[in-house]
Amino acid sequence: MTAPTDQHREGKKDVTFRIFRFNPQVDSKPYFDDYTIQVERGITVLRSLNYIKEHIDASISFRAFCQAGICGSCGMRVNGLSQLACTTQVWDVLAKSREPGIIKVEPLRNLPLIKDLIVDMDPLVDKMKHYSNWIDSTMPESSMGKKEFLISEEEFLRYDKATDCILCASCVSECSILRANKEYVSPAVLLKSYRMNVDSRDAIHGERLAELVKDHGVWDCTHCYRCQESCVKSIPIMDAIHGIREDAIELRGMKDTSGSKHAEAFMSDIEKKGKLVEATLPIRTNGIVWTLQNLLPMAVKMIMKRRTPPPPPLVKSAKGIKIFREMFREMTEHVRQDHKSHKK
Amino acid sequence: MKRYAYYLSCINESMTKEVDRSIGLWQKDLGIEFVKLHEGTCCGGSNLDYVSPKHFALVNGRNIALAEKMGLDLIVSCNTCLMTIRSAKKKLDEIPELKKEVNEILKKEGLEYRGTSEVRHLLWVLVDDVGLDTIGKKVKVPLKNYRIAPFYGCHILRPSTVLGHDNPRDPSSLDQLIEALGGQTIPYKHKNRCCGFHTLLVAEQESLNVAAEALQEAIDSQADFIVTPCPLCHTSLDGYQAKALKQAGVERSIPVFHISEMVGLALGYSAKELGIKRHIVG
Repeated sequence: MTAPTDQHREGKKDVTFRIFRFNPQVDSKPYFDDYTIQVERGITVLRSLNYIKEHIDASISFRAFCQAGICGSCGMRVNGLSQLACTTQVWDVLAKSREPGIIKVEPLRNLPLIKDLIVDMDPLVDKMKHYSNWIDSTMPESSMGKKEFLISEEEFLRYDKATDCILCASCVSECSILRANKEYVSPAVLLKSYRMNVDSRDAIHGERLAELVKDHGVWDCTHCYRCQESCVKSIPIMDAIHGIREDAIELRGMKDTSGSKHAEAFMSDIEKKGKLVEATLPIRTNGIVWTLQNLLPMAVKMIMKRRTPPPPPLVKSAKGIKIFREMFREMTEHVRQDHKSHKK
Repeated sequence: MKRYAYYLSCINESMTKEVDRSIGLWQKDLGIEFVKLHEGTCCGGSNLDYVSPKHFALVNGRNIALAEKMGLDLIVSCNTCLMTIRSAKKKLDEIPELKKEVNEILKKEGLEYRGTSEVRHLLWVLVDDVGLDTIGKKVKVPLKNYRIAPFYGCHILRPSTVLGHDNPRDPSSLDQLIEALGGQTIPYKHKNRCCGFHTLLVAEQESLNVAAEALQEAIDSQADFIVTPCPLCHTSLDGYQAKALKQAGVERSIPVFHISEMVGLALGYSAKELGIKRHIVG
């Protein structure tokens, strides 16, 4: 550990990089190696790693290519947070380090480890294939190259931000649901799926959407916003996830999955009572059989503790519900008109 | 006595009634008064925004307009209601056509959304308005023998573009409140992680895994209890605790408190008065 010295004012610091090491062919378990080097202001984590590899220990493995935040290769966790090593300034990280002078560097989470800081991206690529993360053109092959595909400015704006994704997998690493189940579609794939689905040149919108609403798909997201918060390109990933859900409800109705039924309950309860009727939410989401099988023992406990009322669940409407309902329905009419004029 | 409009969250009207009961006990001790907004309606719980973005704007524009009519800030004690209503406010403030459309309809009730009331969390009012020093002076039963795991939950931190009070990577306001009440916070990696609540009914296994991890870290760190500013996190971590820990093969348990109860305990109210017996984990 380095105590603050005159070096700081001169723009140089001794920094210890505590690097995660694991070679599954040799090591029985992971460990950390410390490398202390002098770093100048303005130096990135990636340049520091390059220096260590060139001058101290050539056996450290990490991926990197463009060094400019474009290629997405150098995603890793720096002091616990998934980000690009090439756009992360050592001094910025140090300012927030819990242990003064030490920067911990670890591989991304939620992807299999290959060696040291390198993870296997294949599961992500497989999911991109599974969810058809490409444009399957509406233009017949015979016409390709002969005429242009013009896109309106308005349409482009809908996926402009989503196209910024460089597949660095920082969001994948931070995702709460992926941490709980590796089968989950993952935020990066939802973002790509949204980007393809709102493109008018695409012909397989319906098929892709049908896949996205299945198990481990778009409805499993728990709205934790960790993906969005860690995105190195500041893409509003949750807007894309909500965009797919909005699309699914519009095209597939509100009754085809437990996720859409759950969402529908909010809309109908608000219109009827101005309040959510929580006690019946499990039944309306998953049906009576699922609720009895999964929640009966807990429901009994909840009723005993008066956390939930015994049936029938009576919820008092919000005060002034009559006029509220009128206003709610007036907005429903607005939405209907919007749909008619294709303006959403 | 500083006054605020108090938004009634659906969950605090049903499953977690102890939250509002606790606040009702100690608000005057801290020189604040929460005026309940009985006309307020469900915010949409982070679902209405994609089911129908326009209804979402209307419903929450109205919730805020009710507070504006009283000339008060709108205070919320559920993280998701906070994030949801603040998101609607951001949209209404940024999109003039949407604001105009919403206001055309709100006229029916003599309401107008102007954007003059702030939407804030109970925790922020305690830390920023009442102040840690004042709270510290009012403490009758310091929580000095307790090791406490602060669980912030997601929607008081993220998205930071909508919330913006604490650093979502390293939040501190709840830690400060615990310390002002004499308690000891423990280092807790899950402090800014998720409780899994929003997928409890849609992807139950995943949701319980998420909750179990947070519970297990607190148990392994020998915390006496977890405290959270969110009744949804409470429901996930307390109500579903037995199920989550059973799935994870953990045989122990840990109590979970709302911030309103923790404040109440430190100000000298009994567990019975605060409604703590309503919790599933004793």
